Amino acid sequence: MNDSMVKVYITGTGAVKIARHYPLGVRDLAFQAGKQALAESGSDNVDFVIVASSLSYLQAPQLDLASYIASSLGLHGVRALSVEAGESSGLAALETAVSLIKSQEASRVLLIGVDKMTEHPSGPTYVMLQALYDTESDAYYNIGHAGIAALLMRLYMEKYEVDRLTLAYWPAMMHMHAKNNPHAMLPFAVAPEKVMTAMPIAEPITLLDAYPLGDGAAAIVLENGDELEGRPLAEIESVISATGMPSPALREDPLDLESLRTALGRLGGLEKIDVIELHDSFSIYGLLELETLGLAEKGESAKLVAEGYFSAEGEGPLVNPSGGLKARGHPIGATDVYKLVEVSRILAGTWQGVKRGDEETGMIVSINAAGSSSRIALLRKVKG
Amino acid sequence: MTQERPESRTGIHGWGAYVPRWRLPMEEIARVWGWPPHQYKGLNVKEKSVDSPDEDSTTMAIEAGYNALLRAKVDPSEIKAVFFGSESKPYAVKPSATIVAEALGITPVTMASDLEFACRAGSEGLRASIGLVSSGMMKYAMAIGSDTAQAEPGDVLEFTASSGAVAFIVGPREGAAAVFEATYTYVTDTPDFWRRALKPYPRHGEGFTGEPAYFHHIMSSVKNLLEETGYKPSDFKYAVFHQPNGKFPVRVGKRLGFTMEQIEPGLVTPFIGNTYNASALLGLARVLDRADPGDLILVAPFGSGAGSDTYILRVTEAVKEKQGLAPRFDDYLARRKTIDYALYTRYRKILTMLPRG
Amino acid sequence: MTRSLPVWWRRRIPRYRLIGARCKECGKIHYPPRTSCPYCGSNSLEEVQLPRRGILESYSVIYSVPGDNRLNAPIIVGLVNINGVRIVAELTDVLPGELSTGLEVEAVVRKISETSDTGIITYGVKFRPVLGAGSGAGQDTGEA
Ligand SMILES: [Zn+2]
Repeated sequence: MNDSMVKVYITGTGAVKIARHYPLGVRDLAFQAGKQALAESGSDNVDFVIVASSLSYLQAPQLDLASYIASSLGLHGVRALSVEAGESSGLAALETAVSLIKSQEASRVLLIGVDKMTEHPSGPTYVMLQALYDTESDAYYNIGHAGIAALLMRLYMEKYEVDRLTLAYWPAMMHMHAKNNPHAMLPFAVAPEKVMTAMPIAEPITLLDAYPLGDGAAAIVLENGDELEGRPLAEIESVISATGMPSPALREDPLDLESLRTALGRLGGLEKIDVIELHDSFSIYGLLELETLGLAEKGESAKLVAEGYFSAEGEGPLVNPSGGLKARGHPIGATDVYKLVEVSRILAGTWQGVKRGDEETGMIVSINAAGSSSRIALLRKVKG
Repeated sequence: MTQERPESRTGIHGWGAYVPRWRLPMEEIARVWGWPPHQYKGLNVKEKSVDSPDEDSTTMAIEAGYNALLRAKVDPSEIKAVFFGSESKPYAVKPSATIVAEALGITPVTMASDLEFACRAGSEGLRASIGLVSSGMMKYAMAIGSDTAQAEPGDVLEFTASSGAVAFIVGPREGAAAVFEATYTYVTDTPDFWRRALKPYPRHGEGFTGEPAYFHHIMSSVKNLLEETGYKPSDFKYAVFHQPNGKFPVRVGKRLGFTMEQIEPGLVTPFIGNTYNASALLGLARVLDRADPGDLILVAPFGSGAGSDTYILRVTEAVKEKQGLAPRFDDYLARRKTIDYALYTRYRKILTMLPRG
Repeated sequence: MTRSLPVWWRRRIPRYRLIGARCKECGKIHYPPRTSCPYCGSNSLEEVQLPRRGILESYSVIYSVPGDNRLNAPIIVGLVNINGVRIVAELTDVLPGELSTGLEVEAVVRKISETSDTGIITYGVKFRPVLGAGSGAGQDTGEA
């Protein structure tokens, strides 16, 4: 943790609706989100561009991506840095940006998360997505994008005797939330029974338990609180990470998200959180995260979700008002930046989607694969 | 036998069978191609084994070789030659023998090569192994016959061309489960069956594969060795012949003076079809699975092109303890699962017209 | 995606033979062998031959098939426990309806990928339900 007294604020946000953007490339998407965020922040003046991207390196290879994106934004001469950490790339980029600002190496940073998933058909794309998992062990085999999550889901169902229908309430809640998210890829309701009977993609996972393949870009402007140029939407209180076992097979309990547990320990416990954006590439991961964070007993999270505990009307914290990776979408390296945009808008009171209206603290969680690394960011409402 | 035969210094220390899981019934092939029942009824084959899409002659050889190692109980690194006999190599150029040897822990100090002689390459490997061991050049050698046999869809060959593998570890006569008393090989240039380079499917001379090829070579080979050794058919407990179908081995055996009682235990083609390089040698493996000490076995593989070997083996006391050390041929038979012709075309990659190893 | 030849080749032996690594510091075994122990970080490791039989703890039937694997669809993956060492691997010679957790499985060597008819074939360990070994000769060869 950085003990610098410098405060870091989000002063600009931008997000492109997640879709199959066949006409748009990585730079086009990054341009749209980046310009929106800069516009909201009130200035094009940044001294660092940090780009979070992951699958694009396999879909439409471009190395030193951040420099090319900076150039396409017209930010000639700016300092630029690309950050890749799989599905957790966005928060990894945030860690980098916050650290640059706190160390006063930078005072205004444009952070863009961008990814493409539709430059190739699904077959080759699943092979690329396998590389999020350990290519020297699990992903040596043809596990696809969903194989490991499916193994964990069956383990969970058998260990805690949770039936398939109970697990279907997660995607149902996500789709309900996404209906009001302006940049969600799948903004429509889905009944839990439909989840169960949807096309199986990796039994017991059906199509409706899994994130869709979509392209997207989201961006935020981060500023040093002492030299604010724009109006602050939210304060970044902390961002922390931990690495974990390369494969769940190596964990004493494969269902233990130990990297997230470690990251949580580094935060030194949780105060009351009002809104949480979890990483639910597959329903099972969202549920395991709830349990790891102590928001549900082991084996109990699915039931709580089914009872509406984490919905806008529920007693628990509001979980995934965006619709989650499941229904908002999950353009791999961009996803965390969408979460940052969404949570800061909720805290700033500018969010058009699902909310309770009195949110003061927000949490963003991301994991890569089944937990090769995990990251947590805490955001706070800016008072006054 | 006045003079010591070099092969008698050697014997089989381990044997291993492999048959893939899937079975395609004859009537299913006939249904697809409109053959009348008599076309296949006379073959005396019920169904044929079909390999899974993730199998090839190399993977099947690895499992057969592994089973042979379990029975031989020798350190794999003591094996100094691996001969891989096949006419369905996954690579036209690149030895399967090195893959098998590496997988089994035999590499790197070993000979390794792939042999081709239609259905008798595996048997040539067996004779070569006997030579290398009896000469003292090495203590153990492994001979493998393995095929995922190709047949053009609609060709009569399709009824029987099947998949299977067998492996033998040849070593000194001491400790062997069966000792080679005598061996013999008879070859001529007889083009009864062939596959030209870069062609996916073989061609054959139909009836020409019978008398001038199969029968002439096996009869010559067996008769000549019986004459040399002084044995007569009634001396043998078991007689195993190459099995392109279920009919030829019975016919050739009877012509040579053997009885059904001697032939039947080693007759595997009726249950799994013709596994080409594994054919007669799988019959030998099945016989060893049940043999008793003292039994005398005659085995005569055949390969088109054409040639036949004859082996005379005497089973020893060691056979009994080895029989249970690895899955038997019949254990593989028991896991059979029938498939239809559509699945067969997929498993065999006929559906996509990809070249098939 | 084409598999890199050296990447596959350098790890072939543990992949063929189910050779794991035992940590000389903490004693734990993992598979496939890594550069250092995933449990304690020591790079003092020794090869250990794993037993070929294990128990299926979880499995998935994959219909969203990665790459050019349509001929092998659906792909079945399993979480196999061999005396406490867990391995994620493909299952073979088994139909979706025959799967259940607790199933005893054994290692076999199979083709892992064969993405074109001109490229390299990669082989490695997969698991299948164990054979009914030792059932003796001369039975069950009839129609099912
Ligand atoms: Zn250790």
